[in-house]
Amino acid sequence: MENIKPIPVILEGDPGHDDAIAWVLANSTDRLKILGVCTSAGNQTIEKTTYNAQRILTLIGYKGPLAKGRTRPLIEEPMNAPSVHGESGLDGPVLPEPEIEPVEEDSVVLMARLIEESEEPVTLVPTGPLTNIAALLTERPDLKPKIARISLMGGGLASGNWTPAAEFNILVDPEAADVVFRSGVPILMAGLDVTEKALIFPEDFERIRAVGNPVAKVVAEWLEFFYHFHRDIGYTGAPVHDPCAVAALLHPEIMTMKDVHVDIELTGKYCRGMTVADMYGSTDKKPNVRAILNIDRKAFADLLVEAVKAYDEK
Amino acid sequence: MERIPVIFDCDTGIDDAIAILLALKIPAFDIKGFTCVAGNTPLPKVLRNTGHVLELAGVDLPVYAGADKPLFADATAPTAEHVHGKNGLGDLEFDDPKRAPESMKAWDYIYEEAKRQNGALELIATAPLTNLAMAFLKYKELPKLIRRIVIMGGAASYGNVTPAAEFNIYTDPEAAEIVFNSGVPVHMVGLDVTLKAWFNAEESEKLSAVNEQGMFCHLVGRGEMRYSLGHGFPGMCLHDPCAVIYAAYPELYKTDTVGVHVETLGKYTRGKTVTDFLSDKQFPVKNAVIVYDVDREAFRDKVFELIGSYSA
Repeated sequence: MENIKPIPVILEGDPGHDDAIAWVLANSTDRLKILGVCTSAGNQTIEKTTYNAQRILTLIGYKGPLAKGRTRPLIEEPMNAPSVHGESGLDGPVLPEPEIEPVEEDSVVLMARLIEESEEPVTLVPTGPLTNIAALLTERPDLKPKIARISLMGGGLASGNWTPAAEFNILVDPEAADVVFRSGVPILMAGLDVTEKALIFPEDFERIRAVGNPVAKVVAEWLEFFYHFHRDIGYTGAPVHDPCAVAALLHPEIMTMKDVHVDIELTGKYCRGMTVADMYGSTDKKPNVRAILNIDRKAFADLLVEAVKAYDEK
Repeated sequence: MERIPVIFDCDTGIDDAIAILLALKIPAFDIKGFTCVAGNTPLPKVLRNTGHVLELAGVDLPVYAGADKPLFADATAPTAEHVHGKNGLGDLEFDDPKRAPESMKAWDYIYEEAKRQNGALELIATAPLTNLAMAFLKYKELPKLIRRIVIMGGAASYGNVTPAAEFNIYTDPEAAEIVFNSGVPVHMVGLDVTLKAWFNAEESEKLSAVNEQGMFCHLVGRGEMRYSLGHGFPGMCLHDPCAVIYAAYPELYKTDTVGVHVETLGKYTRGKTVTDFLSDKQFPVKNAVIVYDVDREAFRDKVFELIGSYSA
């Protein structure tokens, strides 16, 4: 394992409980080399998600650059998810005050610079709306060959969550998603098809809490907070969406995937923001997405436990 | 036993034909008549095919002609002749049926029959929903007179004619939305379940040995069986029979009560049956029962039982 070169990644999200856990997971292992972290507006406003990012990164001891994303979607009006993540966007446990400040650069400028400077092609891991990724691909199409892939959490091939047809991250900025899905850059998609199966049960929270270090305690409380909302709408565990996009890079072997063509629906009375997948091959369009359809839930829970254990030594 | 009065709306069609043979032998159903609509094949062929299947079943029931094109389309409906053959019935040859279609229009007949049955009538529709939509548009009080509509159509997850839409709904999305909005509970037997209701080649062969009707089911589906096996399916999907068997034997299936609306405007999603499974913003009305799973072997056995009830 030591001989495997780390994968250079840029984390990009709108924390958000599950974004936060995704970042804890990404920062727990030497298999990923985090070049930078960027924020997006989504679960909450860009001010709130950036403040949350500062506190999360302070907690996990990340020292690299952090950049703030754009304040609003490309075309759509801004939309947040306070019902899921609370007014702060990351309600629940008390977090350390920020010891890290965002850089002056806009996140698109930072991402472009990090990609240019990297020797290896970079993997982008967006776990929020795709506004800034779309801006990057539009403003700097010359960098596409240096983007290894985009491992994203978003969409749902079989159904949506925020509307019956659309998942939140895509619905917030459908035009941005359209730019990304048409970009030609390989996409690894952790949509609701898999993330709704990535359930972390209350007994898993306790395993994580029992690890005992400060990160473990906070992760357990985030999970608990996140679960309470979902329990009220009938879930038996917390669907930990965003870490799936990170886990897919570390342990693809615990997942089933299918290469498929996906279009983003921009129009429609009910379907705006839907990821439309050609599952039965009724078109001649070539696959542009490797979609994750299933996950070994137990292995995923174990992965999160292992991730927080790594912070014993940090 | 109090039998349920039923009108069967169809675009016969290979799997409609099999579905009709099955429906006529279901003890709980009292099939009153057949209404025909353009779909798998143009309307004149649908009428001829339906008449032929009724002769094969040995029944003398009325057939009514309905729409020859979708509600708001200028042109005739797109057909599915690549699946159903040039004559819409697997290119089997047969004489014109002796009994001519009735002169009354399908939607007028639906209304008249609904009044006669005084609220007990159920509709089974295995076709584009143009006739039903016409009936609802023309007769405002009709929803109160119909107890239930069971359709083969739609898909909660993935479509077949487009990535998002199934053939019957895609052919006339506006008609389908009118039906889903009618206030009558719609039981949607869509691709989610019908793709699990298949017969393999061996089972079809076995059915052919049962009797004349079994032989017809086998022969009419030969082309589709070849096509299905060639495309990696374990067998030929019996979409419409899946809906008919559900209508009488729901205990073989899994269902959920949800809101369903039909997308009529999307660029990629026109004709999708948008189904509110796990949305945080539920459709306000749960207007549909969605059927999403079936015990395939029990379904197969039921098909054998019903076809077997035609005399050998």
